[in-house]
Formats: sequence, structure tokens, C-alpha cells
Amino acid sequence: MPSYKLTYFNGRGTAEIVRLVFAAAGTEYEDVRLEHDQWPELKPSTPMGQLPILEMDGTMLCQSNSIARYVAKMAGLAGKTPLDQARVDMVMDGMVDMGNKFAYEIYYEKDEDKKAEKKKDYVEKYVPQFFSSLNKLASDGGYFAGDELTLADIAFYNMVTMVNPYLEQPLSLDGFPNLEKVVDNVTSNPGIAKWLKERPETPY
Amino acid sequence: MAPKYRLIYFNLRARAEPTRLLFAAAGLQYEDVRIRRDTEWPALKPNTPMGQVPVLEVDGVTICQSNAIARYVAKETGLAGKTNLEQAQVDMLVDGMGDLRGKQAAIRKASEDKKDQCKEELAAFAPNFLRRYEELSGPHAGHLVGDSLTWADLEFYDVMAKVLMYLPGILDNLPKLAKVMDTVPANKGVADWLAKRPETPH
Repeated sequence: MPSYKLTYFNGRGTAEIVRLVFAAAGTEYEDVRLEHDQWPELKPSTPMGQLPILEMDGTMLCQSNSIARYVAKMAGLAGKTPLDQARVDMVMDGMVDMGNKFAYEIYYEKDEDKKAEKKKDYVEKYVPQFFSSLNKLASDGGYFAGDELTLADIAFYNMVTMVNPYLEQPLSLDGFPNLEKVVDNVTSNPGIAKWLKERPETPY
Repeated sequence: MAPKYRLIYFNLRARAEPTRLLFAAAGLQYEDVRIRRDTEWPALKPNTPMGQVPVLEVDGVTICQSNAIARYVAKETGLAGKTNLEQAQVDMLVDGMGDLRGKQAAIRKASEDKKDQCKEELAAFAPNFLRRYEELSGPHAGHLVGDSLTWADLEFYDVMAKVLMYLPGILDNLPKLAKVMDTVPANKGVADWLAKRPETPH
């Protein structure tokens, strides 16, 4: 079995989806958290000058979702059929869009009035519409693909919990029963439940 | 008999083109549906998984998100990478190319007074980005990953064809990447498609 070494900063950030997949898979890995002053020395040796990276068997992978997909595939969590895998991928990509929209339109917005307006629009219009679409894509058992936990379910949980701390209140799943089930399935997965209890508390 | 695959998008290259290149490279039949944004899109939009195109309809399932579609078609056509590791390498290279694509698209989307600034941003971003990609490019000439055509090569070709319009000499000292630009159109299916595909603004 190869040894996996995940390197990121000391935060959840874009690495957390990988850590959650490792947890669900029960796969051992080295969870390296760099101090910011350690990064400049490592940066040139990374594929694209970014973190996270995954090292295994002398190879380095970058791009958090590509890493997550690879680890999930190894553990049978990426979707059982090609179409299921496509479903998993599309939900993951949709969650990235949701996160990016928050980051670029709200988090990085310097004008306080604009920021407040965009936040209102995000919480009251964009997210409910997006969750409505996602609720249709999830089964009533709470799975985005097939009838077992996949990377898609983990991606949903991860992005929602990533955005929530920056809002006045957590995003509501009222009226989206399938999505509530998705969150239940993710948080009750034994490996993930254990990780959620044990993971370091970090500002991001 | 109707083709098994139905790709729906606007009459543009943009986010659907890598998937069209995959179908073309493999000689796999598909229905290349191009809808009108004004008259046809409003009715279709609520019937798409996330209110966006492109979508791919196959076996009664609708897939959205251009990279998810492309990866699925890449797997169907054997162009996704031969091993799990190669597939991860293809994925990561395609993910990274999103940044380059974004910087290039920003020029097109910018208002006239901002276009020059966007062009400067592309000119500042591209050299380091491409230098890294030259290093990441695998040992087999003309292919970013492995020893045969993959989705990564097609995606690279699609993005770079646009970047080269703004930065024509940018691959001059990057021989492995320059070779990819030769290898891709040397594929017969791709060459045929490039010759006959509709002319579109982008």
C-alpha cells in the first residue's frame, strides 16, 4: 500500500475535502500542515506553485479536486459506474462554483455596501435556487450517485460548512429533505464522524 | 438510429469545445445540438440539472458541468489516461488550465477600457504558468501525459489556440508544449473537425 503525504497550510481550506475522503476511506496518510514561512522554500518544487499537494510513490499531484477524486477512486468512493462518476464530478464542480461565487463576489468584495447586498442575494436567491436543483439530484436516501456515500456527498457537506461561518446564520436546508439526508449520511459515516471530532480547530 | 450522446450548448466553442474535440478525436458519433440563447434557452434552462449548459444527455441521464462531461466522454473514448495515476495527472493539468482559460476569457469579456489591462494580466501570468507546464509535460513528445493523446492535450490545444492570438511567441522556448500544438491537429478526427466546425465568435 503506498504511503500518502498531504501537504497544506494549517487550515481546512481547499485541502479539507481530501482529508474528509481519507477519513471516509479509512486510509492512513500524513497530514502535513505548513507554517506560512515554510511555504516559499517548498513552492518551487510543487507542480503548479500551489497547495494542497499529495505525494505518493515519488509522484506529486496537485489541484484539490483532482487529488480528492484520485483518493476517492482508490477507495471506491468516486462512483461505481461511468455515469455515476460523471454525476459525482458534476456535483463536485457545482459545489466549487458555489464556493467561488461566495469568494469572488462576497469575501473579496471591499465595498461594504456591495458586500452586504451580494450576501443577501447569495443567501436569499442564489443558494435556495441552487439547493433546489441539488435536492432534485440527490436521492431521497441522501446520495448524489448510486445508493452509497460518494465524494459528491462529501463535497456538498464540505462546501456548505466552509461557507457557513462567514454568514450571519448557517445556510438553511429547510425544504430540501434529500440534502438534509446527504449531510446526515456524511456526518454519520464512522471515519468522518471520528475526523470531525478529532480534527484541529483552525480559523479557516 | 440516433446517436447515443446528445451534447447541448450554444452555438459557440467555449465550454463545449473540449468535449467536441474528444468526440472528434475518437471518431465517436454524437448529436451536436446548438441552441439559440434568446428563443430556446429560457425553456430549456429549468430542465437542466443546474440551470446551465453545456449538458450531455446519455442513457436517459443528463450530466452538466463542462469538465464532468468532458471527463466522462474522455473515459468513454479511452482518452482520459490509461491508469488511475495518469487520469489524476490529466485531471490536475486540466484543472490548472482553467486559470489560463479564465485569464484569456477575461480579455474578451472586459469592457473596452479594461481590455488592455486584462491583456497585460494574461501576459504576466502565462510565461510562468507555461514554464511549469513544460516541466510537468511527460517524456513522450507531443503528449502532456503518457504516450498517447489524452483530454489534457485537447484541452491544452483549445486554450492555447486562443492564448496564442494574444501572445504569439509564447511557446517559442517551450518545445514539449509546442509539440502538443502539432500532435493534436495531426489526429485525423480532430483535423476533420477543425476544418468543418462552425465559425463562431469564441
